[in-house]
Amino acid sequence: MSETVTDADFLLTHRGKAEDLDAWVVGAAFSRDGKSAGFALGDGTLRLASTGDITGDWQRVEAHEGACLSMVADIASGFLTGGDDGRMVRTAHDGTVEELANLGAMKWVDCVASHPDGLRAASVGKKLHVFGKGGPLKVLEHPSSVGGIAFDAKGKRVAAAHYNGASLWFVNSKEDKPRVLPWKGSHQGVWFSPDGTHVVTTMQENALHGWRLADGQDMRMSGYQSKIKSVSFTAKGRWLATAGADCIVLWPFFAGGPMGKPPMELAGGDGVLCTRVACHPQHEVVAAGFDDGLVLMAEIASGKVVPVAAPGRGPVSALAWNATGTQLAFGTETGFGGLVDLSKR
Amino acid sequence: MSDTAPTEDTTIPVTVLTGYLGAGKTTLLNRILSEDHGKKYAVVINEFGELGVDNDLVIDADEEVFEMNNGCICCTVRGDLVRILGSLMKRRQKLDGIIVETTGLADPAPVAQTFYMDEDVKRATRLDAIVTLVDAKNLAARLADSKEAASQIAFADIVVLNKMDLVTEEEAAEVERRIAAINPYAEIRRATKSAVPIETVMGRDAFKLERILEREPTFLTEDNHSHNEDVMSLSFEVDQPLDEAKFQNWIGELLQTKGQDLLRTKGVLAYAGEDRRFAFQAVHMIADGDFIGPWPEGSPRKSKIVFIGRDLNRPRLRRGFESCVATEASTATGAGAE
Repeated sequence: MSETVTDADFLLTHRGKAEDLDAWVVGAAFSRDGKSAGFALGDGTLRLASTGDITGDWQRVEAHEGACLSMVADIASGFLTGGDDGRMVRTAHDGTVEELANLGAMKWVDCVASHPDGLRAASVGKKLHVFGKGGPLKVLEHPSSVGGIAFDAKGKRVAAAHYNGASLWFVNSKEDKPRVLPWKGSHQGVWFSPDGTHVVTTMQENALHGWRLADGQDMRMSGYQSKIKSVSFTAKGRWLATAGADCIVLWPFFAGGPMGKPPMELAGGDGVLCTRVACHPQHEVVAAGFDDGLVLMAEIASGKVVPVAAPGRGPVSALAWNATGTQLAFGTETGFGGLVDLSKR
Repeated sequence: MSDTAPTEDTTIPVTVLTGYLGAGKTTLLNRILSEDHGKKYAVVINEFGELGVDNDLVIDADEEVFEMNNGCICCTVRGDLVRILGSLMKRRQKLDGIIVETTGLADPAPVAQTFYMDEDVKRATRLDAIVTLVDAKNLAARLADSKEAASQIAFADIVVLNKMDLVTEEEAAEVERRIAAINPYAEIRRATKSAVPIETVMGRDAFKLERILEREPTFLTEDNHSHNEDVMSLSFEVDQPLDEAKFQNWIGELLQTKGQDLLRTKGVLAYAGEDRRFAFQAVHMIADGDFIGPWPEGSPRKSKIVFIGRDLNRPRLRRGFESCVATEASTATGAGAE
């Protein structure tokens, strides 16, 4: 049917489900056990969908008093959220809410992170709280507020982005002394490359910064039209996909790159800002969300683009793949949530 | 661009309260919050005073001043505000306003600059007014022992002259004279225990270009500006229309080189061949300007500019401004429009 080619909503209408969630979608994630997809919203609630049947009802869960500020998949199952009520909360597949930590009145839990080895982290102002299987493990102080946090793939190190650089901490070291990666300016998000050899941050300026950990070599990646709020490494770490331009910008992390290598651009041309990116967990395919609400997938090798959801539902503010890469969840600033199943039938 | 079509302003107004510790900021804040106005405000505080803040949504954040663009001193922003304002936008419940209470020693420039420098903040909020609380009894001492006291007055749209019960009329008049010498454009409101009508400090839209120079200082002539204040203001006027390109070049260069000393610059300009007024304002190096509609019927088309800052060179600034007057050739092209 020729109609399917032009209908940008084909996948969403035929292979997915969409709902008006009535609040800013702060985050989207799939649980590590693959059972559920979750959306975290600006009204403090979550929506949980069962991945077995995404067309079923999505459960509404009250998780935070004010707004959810960040969301990730929790350790083994369920979701972990931080809120502007100062709490770090775990929400199970069945909608059971458990407060894991209350980190202070009038304080915000800006960022949360988790690792399958039983680790959780939450940032509140300058402090990074790290939790192990047995509860609170340590509190790591930074010179200024923490903008973003990340565990490396092995769960050995945790990184925090802040003013004038990023700090890397060994989770299990007895002496808490960070390796500081310095670079002038305010760093707001942080990511490890999948092999743990590079750290990348997004900045207050329209640029990314990176460090090669072996020798501390700096990488400057600039030329964006706006702040970069989303980056994602491809599964094997060959490419770093980034939002912040009117296309998907991909930096090569192979053959000596990204230093001295131009980035590749995908799915550009209509002058609309890319706001979210998420790389497929197995293939070199990037899902991207745009300022006009368009969601698409692009294959890196061929540049081929497949639309997932049509424009017109607000800037895309959340985007995530499940672990097998068969389902994609997305949400927008104006409260539209979508879930698409791409598996073979 | 076509004529300015009125679009609905969905940005949330932000009021900044500055002033020395003990000047009465928290008292004013609680007055605003406790008034029965049915409005929902978020409050950002940076230090705990002796008084608590009585509001549902209070965010206690560390005041963090960040340099942008690799350390240009005039491109400092408040990193905590970037983060907090960005997150407040995601809340479902629409806020009627946001009030930021700065620490006593804060320089207001980074706060103001945040509203120009950060795209998310710019998109979702607008700076409504900077309200500076001044302790009528102790202002002289504060001006003598700190740079910030003068900066806070220089940046103020409204100065609440507080603790009036502790001074005589003569003392109050002297304090007002000093405030006017630093910033003749600030509106001064006398108060005791921070009691001022809320509408005098909230919803002022003082940073709107249309409001630039709305208030004409009446009590100062051009020549009695100097009272040995560290911060002073100078204003200049020309009767002939200006050449737009010349003005942009001059002001651009001036802000680049003198931006550090120029705390605030405001102007309303008559360009040759243009029927609309051009409003201009800058906070240090960061400038904003646009046409704001036609000159009022019968009002003289004079261009006026005001500088508030340190180490201002009057003859140089005057010569510079006057050199922007359109020459015969450029006025000739505009003559047909009359």
